[in-house]
Amino acid sequence: MKNIHRIWNGILLAAILFSCEDKISPTLERSTPVLVVDAWLNNRPGFQTINLTQTQAYFDNTSPPAVSGAVVTVRDDKGTTFSFPEDDKKMGDYIWKPLANEVFGMIGNRYTLTIKVNGETFESSSYMGRVPVIDSITFDTEKRIGSKDSLTRAEFWAVDPAGHGDAYWIRSYKNGVLLNKPSEMNVAYDAGFSAGGETDGVTFITPIRRGINSNDQDGTGRNLSPFLPGDSVNVQIHSITRAAFNYLHEVRIQTDRPGGFQELFSTPLANVSTNISNMKANGTKALGFFNVANVSSAGKRYKK
Amino acid sequence: MKQVICISSFFLLFYSGFSQQKFTINGTIKDASNGEALIGVTVFISEIKNGVTTNEYGFYAITLPTATYSISYSYVGFQLISKTIELNKDTQLNIELLPETEQLQEVVVQAEIEQANVQNLEMSTNKLEIKTILRIPTLFGESDVLRSLQLLPGVSTVGEGASGFNVRGGGVGQNLILLDEAPVYNSSHLFGFFSVFNPDAVKDTKLYKGAIPSRYGGRLASILDVRMKEGNSKKLEVTGGIGSVFSRLAVEGPLIKDKASFIIAVRRSYIDVLARPFVQLLKDGGALNFYDLTMKTNYNINRKNRVYLSGYFGRDNFKFDKTQGFNWGNSTATVRWNHLFNERLFSNLTLVYSKYDYSLQFGKDDRNRFSWNSSITNFILRPQFTYFINSKNELNFGGDAVYYTFAPANAVGVTNGKSVDISLGKKYNLETALHIGNSQKLTSAFSIEYGLRFSNFQSLGPGTTYDYNDTIPGIRKSVTGAKIYKSGETIASYRNLEPRLSFKVQGNETSSVKGSYNRMVQYLHLISNTTASNPLDVWNPSSNNIKPQIADQFTLGYFKDIGEARKYELSLESYLRYTQNQLDYIDGADLLINRYLEGDLLSGSGRAYGLETYFQKKTGRLTGWVSYTLGRTELKVDGINRGEWYETRYNQTHNLKIAAFYDINSRWSVSGNFIYTSGTPTTFPTSRYIQQGILIPYNVNESRNNVHLKSYHRLDISFRLEGKKVKNDKERKNADYWVFSLYNVYGRRNPFSIYFSQNDMRVPAGQPLQSQATQLSIIGSIIPSISYNFKF
Repeated sequence: MKNIHRIWNGILLAAILFSCEDKISPTLERSTPVLVVDAWLNNRPGFQTINLTQTQAYFDNTSPPAVSGAVVTVRDDKGTTFSFPEDDKKMGDYIWKPLANEVFGMIGNRYTLTIKVNGETFESSSYMGRVPVIDSITFDTEKRIGSKDSLTRAEFWAVDPAGHGDAYWIRSYKNGVLLNKPSEMNVAYDAGFSAGGETDGVTFITPIRRGINSNDQDGTGRNLSPFLPGDSVNVQIHSITRAAFNYLHEVRIQTDRPGGFQELFSTPLANVSTNISNMKANGTKALGFFNVANVSSAGKRYKK
Repeated sequence: MKQVICISSFFLLFYSGFSQQKFTINGTIKDASNGEALIGVTVFISEIKNGVTTNEYGFYAITLPTATYSISYSYVGFQLISKTIELNKDTQLNIELLPETEQLQEVVVQAEIEQANVQNLEMSTNKLEIKTILRIPTLFGESDVLRSLQLLPGVSTVGEGASGFNVRGGGVGQNLILLDEAPVYNSSHLFGFFSVFNPDAVKDTKLYKGAIPSRYGGRLASILDVRMKEGNSKKLEVTGGIGSVFSRLAVEGPLIKDKASFIIAVRRSYIDVLARPFVQLLKDGGALNFYDLTMKTNYNINRKNRVYLSGYFGRDNFKFDKTQGFNWGNSTATVRWNHLFNERLFSNLTLVYSKYDYSLQFGKDDRNRFSWNSSITNFILRPQFTYFINSKNELNFGGDAVYYTFAPANAVGVTNGKSVDISLGKKYNLETALHIGNSQKLTSAFSIEYGLRFSNFQSLGPGTTYDYNDTIPGIRKSVTGAKIYKSGETIASYRNLEPRLSFKVQGNETSSVKGSYNRMVQYLHLISNTTASNPLDVWNPSSNNIKPQIADQFTLGYFKDIGEARKYELSLESYLRYTQNQLDYIDGADLLINRYLEGDLLSGSGRAYGLETYFQKKTGRLTGWVSYTLGRTELKVDGINRGEWYETRYNQTHNLKIAAFYDINSRWSVSGNFIYTSGTPTTFPTSRYIQQGILIPYNVNESRNNVHLKSYHRLDISFRLEGKKVKNDKERKNADYWVFSLYNVYGRRNPFSIYFSQNDMRVPAGQPLQSQATQLSIIGSIIPSISYNFKF
């Protein structure tokens, strides 16, 4: 429903010109570091990386501290173990390197992640689901409201396979750069937004099909055209577990804060969930997520 | 069985000492200038040093032994009338009170006359005269019932733009807002900037915050009873105004002189009309407006029967272009029949229809579109009786039956030419209640009111219910089973007894102590987890998964009149309220178009307590009040804030309001109000972490509302210039006035919220993400405005 609010925002801001925003630096409660696991793996060719860091104070704008010296393995339910030795160049990165033609993961398999660090063991599990193929990508250009120039947006076309409970994270790259602003996060439950509104076995709904565009503004706050002639787009549909869908849904709620009048519709700040658990019931907490994705992709260049 | 004993013991109390011959004086009291019935007029009998007040229809009755009595009728702003009658038969005395003229304004009201607040049994209620509402400085200069209400003790809001209001730490959805007895489910236009009540059509507003009589029920925190004008029964009158946001026009007059009258009042905003030539969006078919229509008519059939018909229709419209948009609104209709069974038994039968709905449409073409609408409809049948037993007892009894139809979502999406219906099933519910209450003067110093409400709520088929697993509190639940019910089957039902009790001990003529206890039960729940309530919020009935909310409130207050002619009024009231089955939401809850919504809800308990002080100066050139509330409101919900108590977003430790009105001369007057409230509780993170290149805020203590925003304060001033009364040596027939107002005089940027986010710039790979905090002020500058108002 975020998309609805986004549209109101523009309209209401035009009507109510009295609001204003100030950047501030409030004092925060003291933070203590917590282990963060960033383990989003997939079956695309190449290296698979798991990143271990620690939380940092909210206003600490440096790179997060790496967690070094952990033993990281992933095991599937067919008895294969994949080991993720720590990278010798970048601390905190644990990388699985394939042998020739080897691909990580297989559809239908279950995976267990084990991390041994500082005398504690953390575990998580995931499942590689199915993904639909992308039939095509199209571009359409429309005149910008109240202006002479135009906006070109891309749209991908794919049909969610019949059967409830498939979830996807649609990630798109513009000219090879991943679009990963919080406002660009595009997740789908079957072909729609959520489990509660059952949209199964059909073409992805419009806001998801069109959720692959960059969201950038110029200095005056005007939206830039997502695509100009010569730009390319690459769309990847990653399968995610239902837990991962809930997780990303929460992440979007907590991180996509365009501000303005839309703040009226925002929900309170809350911690997002995690699927990483300490094997000891009263051990230290860990944050982050583990998901193994099956990926389908397609790309296209925009020519005028 | 318990009820039967209770009810019969009520009657036992009255049938004592009924031997002497007694007769009844009754009648209706009206405003002589326009024929409007007056609510709450004091009818005082000197001989017994006792009296009664008129009810919502201006009716009063008092039964006394044969004798000669002098009766006085008094009402604030009206000239006192005294009558002497020899009571030897049932007598009807219909009185018309004359409004005080300007010169009479400082006339002293006689001290022996019963004064409402100190001597009245009521407590925790606030009445706002429409005259006062019209003088309060407001945003964009538009007088507003709900925004005026927020100047009263115990009433607050989470900020500009938020719909609704909070009473004594209750949620927005815990107020029952009645417009001529019809429930209004969304009281706001343009989100929360304006309320749906057109001040031109409103006669009287009364807010019950505690000591709620047994005839009211259904919400925990308060009842706001808004009564519409009946329309001038003497002469045709047109009133209106042209403001900076909308214009108003009201026509009222007699249909049959002194027997039937009507009022029709309309308002429409015209920002979009004015802006159309300049804004392409509006030229392309976009819209941004709201309007409402309020009407009422009544017919005085004969001495014993009178009927009223009133209605409201309002709508807000937002259109992004010709086909895409969003609109919402309420419509209500009320039919009432006042019937006098005999001299002492007054009855009213009310039939109500009320509906709130919203709808959205998106999509550029027929192959890809989305439409969604949602509504709550209810039909109400409400018989009410008042039996004026004698000068010491007034018995109220009656019933309520409300049939609700909830349509949470009729939603159809068309994707690539294929239509998907994601509508959710309708929900049917029946809420019934029986109530009885007696207000009794035990001695000249001690009065009590006791009552009981028995409420019953049924969730009816057809429908599907879902069962959910028990997870760790705060983790999203999964469906474990579903059950389908046929039409007419009872899915869930709840019954509750709601005792109500209040008392008054009169210390002396000018001071009293009052206390009360009441239990309130709420079967409907406003589902909203956003910072401010908004038009998309849905109402959800109690069900197999959602239990009714229950509140127990205790109040104790001290009331004092001070000064010559009771110029000043002081009150101190404390309240304590415990609530059960309060709703909160799982993190990441999906509240819209979600058939598994109930799995995303959490339930806990609440507590609210506070002290309200109120000091009012009622007469003179300078009038006004100072209201200060010290309060706290908290919730405790498993899965939120480590399961410990946390402050609600609308918790305000300090809440100070000052409203002042000063007459400079016969044409100019100035009004001002000042508001100071403690900063709104909010949640700040302690830490940050990164996941797939996205910066996520994290609170290591898992706190909710662990910090407060800066305090809120604001000064508003308005000047009112009355039009000339005399023109070319002739008295003008028309009256008019200008209002020049300044909202937020010193331009304070009051924080509405502080939000935490990553900088929106695209960061090159390998560079650290930048976190930031932003403070939003909905109104960050002074807002001047002018309006012109007329009457002829």
